[in-house]
Amino acid sequence: MIGASISRWTMSYFAMAIAWLFVALALMVAGVGFPAADVAAPDTLVLAHVVCIGWLSLAMCGALFQFVPVLVAKPLFSEKSALPALGLLTAGLASLLAGFLALGGRLPAWLWLLPLGAVLLIAGFGLIVVDLGLTVWLRPVGPARFVLVGLASLCVTVAFGAVFAFALVGWAGSTGQSLLAGGVPLHAIAGLGGWLTLTAMGVSYRLLSMFMLSPDVDDRKSGTTLMAGALAIAVTVVGGVLAVELFAGLDVVLSIAAVLGLATAALYGRDVFAIFRARKRRQLELNTRMAMLSFASLAGTALLGAALVVTGDFAAHVGAFAFLAVFGWLSGLVLAKLYKIVAFLTWLETYGPVMGRTPTPRVQDLVAERRASKWFVIYYAGVWTGTLLLLVGQPWGFRAAAMAMTAGVIGIVREVIRTRQLADVANPLRLPGGVRAPHLLFARN
Amino acid sequence: MTEYIDVDVRPILRAGGEPFSVIMAALERLEAGQGLRLYATFKPIPLFAVMADRGFMHSERALDGGEWEVLFTPTEATENAAAPSGTPSFDNWPEPAVTLDNRDLDPPEPMVRILAAAEKLGPGETLSALLRREPVFLFPQLEKRGYRWLGGFTPDGATYELTVRAPS
Repeated sequence: MIGASISRWTMSYFAMAIAWLFVALALMVAGVGFPAADVAAPDTLVLAHVVCIGWLSLAMCGALFQFVPVLVAKPLFSEKSALPALGLLTAGLASLLAGFLALGGRLPAWLWLLPLGAVLLIAGFGLIVVDLGLTVWLRPVGPARFVLVGLASLCVTVAFGAVFAFALVGWAGSTGQSLLAGGVPLHAIAGLGGWLTLTAMGVSYRLLSMFMLSPDVDDRKSGTTLMAGALAIAVTVVGGVLAVELFAGLDVVLSIAAVLGLATAALYGRDVFAIFRARKRRQLELNTRMAMLSFASLAGTALLGAALVVTGDFAAHVGAFAFLAVFGWLSGLVLAKLYKIVAFLTWLETYGPVMGRTPTPRVQDLVAERRASKWFVIYYAGVWTGTLLLLVGQPWGFRAAAMAMTAGVIGIVREVIRTRQLADVANPLRLPGGVRAPHLLFARN
Repeated sequence: MTEYIDVDVRPILRAGGEPFSVIMAALERLEAGQGLRLYATFKPIPLFAVMADRGFMHSERALDGGEWEVLFTPTEATENAAAPSGTPSFDNWPEPAVTLDNRDLDPPEPMVRILAAAEKLGPGETLSALLRREPVFLFPQLEKRGYRWLGGFTPDGATYELTVRAPS
């Protein structure tokens, strides 16, 4: 097949990701993990990995299976690895979480669950990295280069995580123990900064310019942004591992990485601003308006981080900083784009075969933006209030903010399911002759 | 003078596809004495032997950007073959019956309009469309409906020119 066909399992990834997001929200509402527990406590590890692997990584992988072929105008290297990878990642995450619960004494001391989870996650992410990596490798142009760096960062993140998992059961030797003692920030930066942030940036370049009728960002400009980001990750990983092994502090390495990270955010802001300014479509769609709130959250994260470093409070408030990065910037962007991607793919899958032969609805007819926008507003209000309440040390107030976020996400997910079910399409156009309603959880391509 | 039928497999190769079946299908459709003008993103050396077996001589010419134009000429016609010059590409495709400028339409409206216009073409007729982007989601739909297409970016990269031909 030439061009890009509909990815069969993208909806399955999205569904599983959303299920994990609800688990994370439930944990925060219930007060499990940070801020009720320490940032390094086993309960916080459960929460962090539910969010970063279950929600963000699965949603990102589902989106990449669909959009990497669009970015490189080539079909996926293999269609066969997506579903096995989803199974391996789900099993691996479940095993890892059970291992953390065992570590915290909530389950019997079955610590072998940690390395088992790590091995399953390596297998699942490995399948995805090989499939997407080989697809991009043959034509690494424009935003696709971000995906390559993102996938490399994913490998680094998983490698760190696996060393930690083996070290926690004492199977990783003294090198593993010293990495476990000092290397956790490196794991977090490679995952949140390298894999999730750089990949989200790359995909957003194309999605934004596509939906706003704007020319693509010049490859040299986006290349500078990517270079700064890749350098930040490389300094963190290489410098960080050296520092940990030499028992030097991480301060110098993390300071350099922070400056490079700030530069990356600023350069990305410049690129996104240029896309908005050159756009032909004046009226912005909901997904773009909500993505702007996510960009504001990224800017807020950068400013908050800089301010906390200047006042010397970064270590005390690293939780609030990570919360804003994860829920304001990354989750906000994923939710906004999910809303649009599901509508577009559902429209293409349902009406593509009869398009031009019979009247079909427009993509906009599948969504009710006015109704959906209030849920996004509630979500973001919850995230920003939650960040403030973390900064001022109000764990109970934070749980109320998490409740508001949950309400927002329930509303958004309900809208997405209605889109998938074509519930808002008026009846003569909804299912014209020869058209079948799509399945909720996968594409019949 | 030999008449050449154009086959441009560059879009297929760029998309990572397999062009051999398209070339062979074009070969089947040739009438006696007709030749094949092939555009490819590399010099298709393996094809030369295959075509020689079928009674075609080849002569190739390098184009800009590492691309190649290859003329396959039936051996019995070589004595009369004139130098291939000035023949416009796609000369076996009729002038477009419809021309669309879809550059300023919100996505996915360009795709909707191309499919709607394509459905109205008569057998073998063509339409041409200007777009901002390579219509990657359109290609599978065209393929399923039996349409052929040729497309590529203008040298400045700002416009994608697409020609679609209805099944004859």
